[in-house]
Amino acid sequence: MIHIYFAGIDLGSTMTKIIILDEDEQVRAYVVNHTGAEHRRLANKVMEEALAQSGLTIEEISFIMATGYGRINVPFADRQITELTCHARGVASFFPNVRLAIDVGGQDAKGLKIKDGKLLDFVMSDKCAAGTGRFLEVIADALGIKVEDLGSISQRSKRKVSVSSTCTVFAQQEVVKHLSEGVMLEDVVAGLHDAIASRVAGMVRRLKVEPDVVFTGGVAKNIGVVKALEESLGCQVLVPEEPLLSGALGAALIGKELTLQALTNGETIQTSERHLEEATFFK
Amino acid sequence: MAAEASKGLAKAREVYQDRPRRVLELRTEGKKIVGYLCIYPVLEMMTALDIVPYRIFGDMREPITKADTYLPTVVCPFLRSCLDLGLKGRYDFLDGIITSHICDVGASIGGLWNYAVQTPFSHHIDTPHTLHETSLKQQKALLVNLKEALEGFAGRKITTEALRDAIRVHNEQRALVRELYELKKSDPPLISGAETIQVIKANESLPVKEGNQLLREVISEVKDRKDGPQKKSARLLVWGSILDDTALMEMIEGLDANVVMDDTCVGSRPYFDDVEITDDPLDGLAYHYLVDIKCPRTFRTNSYTDVRKDYMKDLEGRFGYLRDFAGDWKADGVIVQSVRYCDTHGYEVPGIRDYLDSVGVPSIYLEHDYTEGALAPLRTRVQGFLEIISQ
Repeated sequence: MIHIYFAGIDLGSTMTKIIILDEDEQVRAYVVNHTGAEHRRLANKVMEEALAQSGLTIEEISFIMATGYGRINVPFADRQITELTCHARGVASFFPNVRLAIDVGGQDAKGLKIKDGKLLDFVMSDKCAAGTGRFLEVIADALGIKVEDLGSISQRSKRKVSVSSTCTVFAQQEVVKHLSEGVMLEDVVAGLHDAIASRVAGMVRRLKVEPDVVFTGGVAKNIGVVKALEESLGCQVLVPEEPLLSGALGAALIGKELTLQALTNGETIQTSERHLEEATFFK
Repeated sequence: MAAEASKGLAKAREVYQDRPRRVLELRTEGKKIVGYLCIYPVLEMMTALDIVPYRIFGDMREPITKADTYLPTVVCPFLRSCLDLGLKGRYDFLDGIITSHICDVGASIGGLWNYAVQTPFSHHIDTPHTLHETSLKQQKALLVNLKEALEGFAGRKITTEALRDAIRVHNEQRALVRELYELKKSDPPLISGAETIQVIKANESLPVKEGNQLLREVISEVKDRKDGPQKKSARLLVWGSILDDTALMEMIEGLDANVVMDDTCVGSRPYFDDVEITDDPLDGLAYHYLVDIKCPRTFRTNSYTDVRKDYMKDLEGRFGYLRDFAGDWKADGVIVQSVRYCDTHGYEVPGIRDYLDSVGVPSIYLEHDYTEGALAPLRTRVQGFLEIISQ
């Protein structure tokens, strides 16, 4: 039986995600790696990893779709589409009734208004660290704890304190003050989660908040933020099993759609030269 | 100096890139150059006195270093940049400067410029912000003041005939700009949004008759051109704060879109209404330079229309012309943009988007920084918008 494969590459500011699907939307491979200074140029290396995992060659992939902040740095991609459209598509494949998708990554936060899997409107915040993963990273660092432990620590809180949501730097100062006054670590961490949640909720309320509300991105792995977001928004917040993959997944699914459309219309699909080389952009 | 002087679009590009060159030449020939901020200073009075009006702009590629001493960082970066360039001597060739009460910072900048840059002659017009009968009376009185100030500076009076002639030449310019804009109605438009900024900015750096000549050359060149903008999937209208650099336009036009129309001040705003030549020319000028110009610094609600309590009717009164622009230029969507800290445009955004929504025109709001570096995230937003409207 002949299979056709589609790849989605989400080159984010913090993490690079690649997924390879077959025509039945079964996952053949997925890779999640730090973008770093190198990978901004070396999407090809991450792609090689994904191909090795899947046992395929690049020529066997019918369509390669790039998305994310670094989507222009993927020379072997056939096309690039914004992560806004890709996330909407990806989230809708997990939760078909999604109306509001919230994606909080390392350096930005997005709200997507979706209906029937189609993106209708969006809000974005990418200038300010407050309300993004960076907020939690900076403060975790200052507290000497790991970002991945924040969630479980906050669940122990019995009396959370209020922390400023306006500015990461101000929040850091407040955290130090609370701790020096003897406030328990878990209560401070719970307050932090409230701060980031209220910041994100304030942004997405510019779109309509109606179920299903889905939360993705690295920060969605933090159970404390998920619960704080539910409290801020006043409704249930759903989180996919792999919160980092919706962008890459959406990209691959759109790639599949475009391919099948072209095949049905008897058109040839425009593909790139498929050289797995680094972005020459920077030379 | 080039052996063969360039014409049309090439000339517009040259002037755009080296704006002071022509006025510096004219200065050595004894002409007076008076700078002006924004589109409220009355150009016709300067032309009538054979003074060359020269619009003052910032430079978004020049980091603001000196203006911070005089203006806080949380205000309009465009005006901060203008002051910064003044402090750095880039406007030392001006014999005078006219400012007006465009906005809060605009109101202060006249005084700051006097204090810190010290251009020999200066005048500030305290242009009213509403369109009531009393505002129009005040506007006329302010123009009488302006006329007297300019006459004092020039050492002679402005005759009624000279003023009427100047109005005619400036109206000719307005008609030429409108003629140029007609060429943006085709699909694809015959001139891009970026090229339009170059032409308008060049025009505002030359004496009016030379500007008219440039416009005529551009129109005749563009009408028959074969190397115009490529046809794209979406046609856009851009509304908002001053865009005195092509960078944002180039970013938008680098995507799958043509910018076919604008409602900005280095764009259509100064040119889409003529000055009526009234018995006392100051009446026509007062009306044009307050009522005709559709910048949001003028508060149009509760003025000439009685729609205080009806939000949608009020929006129609304020923004109806935009629906006509979008229809006439066949725009598929509107980019609503403002520069960071521009309250004047920022406060219009909810109303304008509600209005466009009510008439079925999709829009997106972009806030930008008056720097080149911050354009990449805006690119994602514009591309996302184009992906939505193409569905």
